[in-house]
Amino acid sequence: MNTIVPAIGFGLVTASILAIAGVGFTLQFGVTNILNLAYGDIMTAAAFVAYLVTSAGFSVWLALVAGAAFGSVFSVLLNRGLYTPFVRRGTRLFGMIIVTIAVSLIVQNGLLALSGARFFSLKMPRPSSVHIAGMVFTTVQLAIIAIAVVAMLLIHLLLRYTKLGKAMRATAADPDLARNCGIATDRVIDLAWAISGALCGLAGVILVMNVTAFTDTTGSEFLIPIVAVAVLGGIGQPYGAMLGALVIGITTEVAAAIFNPEYKDVVAFVILVIVLLARPQGILSEIATRKEVAA
Amino acid sequence: MRLAVTALAAVLALASAAACSSSGSSGGGSSSPPSTLVVGEFNPFTGPDAAFGPEMVGGCIPAIRLINADGGVMGHKMSCVQEDTRGDPADAVPAAQKMIATETSLVGVLGPSSDEALATVPILNTAHVPMFVDTGQAAFDHTTDAYFWRITPADDVKGYAMAIWAHQAGYTRAAAVFGNDAGAQSDVPTLVSAFTGLGGTIVYNKPFALDQSSYRSEVESILAAKPQVIFTEVDPQTGATFLSELQQLHGLLPVIGTEVSLQTPWLKAVNTAIGAASMAKYFEGMQPYAPPSGPAWQTFNNALLASKSQVPQPGQWSTDPYSMTYYDGVNIMALAMLAAHSTSPAVFDKDIMAVTEPGPGKTVVTSFAAGKAALAAGKQIQYVGAGGPIVFNQWHNSTGAFEAAKYVSGNVDLVGSVTAAQIAAISK
Repeated sequence: MNTIVPAIGFGLVTASILAIAGVGFTLQFGVTNILNLAYGDIMTAAAFVAYLVTSAGFSVWLALVAGAAFGSVFSVLLNRGLYTPFVRRGTRLFGMIIVTIAVSLIVQNGLLALSGARFFSLKMPRPSSVHIAGMVFTTVQLAIIAIAVVAMLLIHLLLRYTKLGKAMRATAADPDLARNCGIATDRVIDLAWAISGALCGLAGVILVMNVTAFTDTTGSEFLIPIVAVAVLGGIGQPYGAMLGALVIGITTEVAAAIFNPEYKDVVAFVILVIVLLARPQGILSEIATRKEVAA
Repeated sequence: MRLAVTALAAVLALASAAACSSSGSSGGGSSSPPSTLVVGEFNPFTGPDAAFGPEMVGGCIPAIRLINADGGVMGHKMSCVQEDTRGDPADAVPAAQKMIATETSLVGVLGPSSDEALATVPILNTAHVPMFVDTGQAAFDHTTDAYFWRITPADDVKGYAMAIWAHQAGYTRAAAVFGNDAGAQSDVPTLVSAFTGLGGTIVYNKPFALDQSSYRSEVESILAAKPQVIFTEVDPQTGATFLSELQQLHGLLPVIGTEVSLQTPWLKAVNTAIGAASMAKYFEGMQPYAPPSGPAWQTFNNALLASKSQVPQPGQWSTDPYSMTYYDGVNIMALAMLAAHSTSPAVFDKDIMAVTEPGPGKTVVTSFAAGKAALAAGKQIQYVGAGGPIVFNQWHNSTGAFEAAKYVSGNVDLVGSVTAAQIAAISK
């Protein structure tokens, strides 16, 4: 019992990283129906940008901004320059998955060529520990939780209370109908890539802030939990991804405390399977599953 | 029409027959230069164990450099070719098959590592490819594969050495933090049996899933078991995350790692994560004892440092026992070819034992050049390598002593050793 309470606290940190990454991932899919399996590698690329920033003597806060900006710009360019032309030529959902896998390999090997298969660490002050209600956090972890809370709040405000949010939801539900209703879906899709890309970059930087040492495969190794979060919450559902992140994050840490840590992911995925058996569409999904990629 | 087709077929048949004839004569003729003999560097160059490959390059390239400078093997130059296994049997098996199919002058390989050995050793053995493996898996302790050769100690031996070193330091309660990969897990059984046999208790022993974003819950569980020391073998990212979280939550404990933790990527990643002072104070790594001294090492190191154009930052491998043994592996193969008067692996494989085992009247040589000269003079040789003497047993395994090292100010400093006799005493 005395290891479970701290484990829940640790789970909150993992959930925070997963929430940012998962919401970005599911937002991309929700609006464009492109299952971007290069997402983890873009996270890694953003982490390298942050590494360059901190190595140049700037603060980790600026590195967070730089990573998010890189993720945003890179994602928009990736969609405009590569994904959209494929979609316009009639590439379907499965074909686009293959394209994203190709991008993943290209980005990963590009990073490998540049980084030389070494491990890197962001240059930032050594954190101190803080005890809260039987749980132990470092100042970095508290910052990660705070960043996640702020990011989720901003996403909530965006989706619920702005015209852009409504347009994104409309485009996600039916891009043709949205276009006929006068919504500039091209612009909405660009903005969706920009926002989700920023979340992707942000997630990459906070991931490597947490793990302390990273390499060219760090982000891609994190992709499976991200996909699990998105699927658990209902693919395309940002709120579902937030909930999914909490479930997966806390479950894995508690499982590691109680059971064999080798199986921490297994326990999380067993829960995922059980939930999907009960609700195949995920916890919060309202979107029809018969959509095609939007351009 | 039928006539035209028949004529065309006849022309093609004649042309291909001529091509075959031409090819055959050029292969056996004396006018064309002998082919370059290829040594495959069959190890991970990408993936979590990407550090293994460059370490191998640090041994292969200096050996090839010296062999070629001395005129090669029976007129053949030699070269090292990287074959990336990605540390995954799913990638390693096709990589092995491709290497065997395409490298027609392949005379041997360095590797495979523990990541892919179980899947690829049978393939290489069936194809009659001598392999100087860097896997430590105990599954090969009694192998009968004729082309399997191991000059680095098996993992189970490593477990004995770690247990003895911890016992000598007075530790009686230990946690075993090993990755859930086959290589790391193969260390654990002998570590546990040896440490408990010496009166200690393993208070935590659970495999770690690698490259997770957090190990805080595992840290809490370990701390609840109150160990005095942590035995470990995990990859650099996992090591950095785990130890930095241990430091943040509790403060570090003494850590005894395997040779994986004495590799540059691990040292740098963890050093950055926990700080140089903590690293110097709490960490020790065990690796095969290969003192950086003596004529064989001097020859290796000079060649290594002169290979800057092919080996990035060559100095980092100067004291690396694995780089030394890869260097020795290439030299042994080359000398075995000379002893057998053949570059055919099926012929020279049996001479690997002959050029390394000690014996009365044998000439001890510490370099390829010396061995080549001695063999040319009709002498029998015993090659003593940069990593020390090599004595294969009937299962083609050669085991030596271990050294303990610390990482201080960017240098790996030797702090003590566990002798082969100590290991033999506890492993009975």
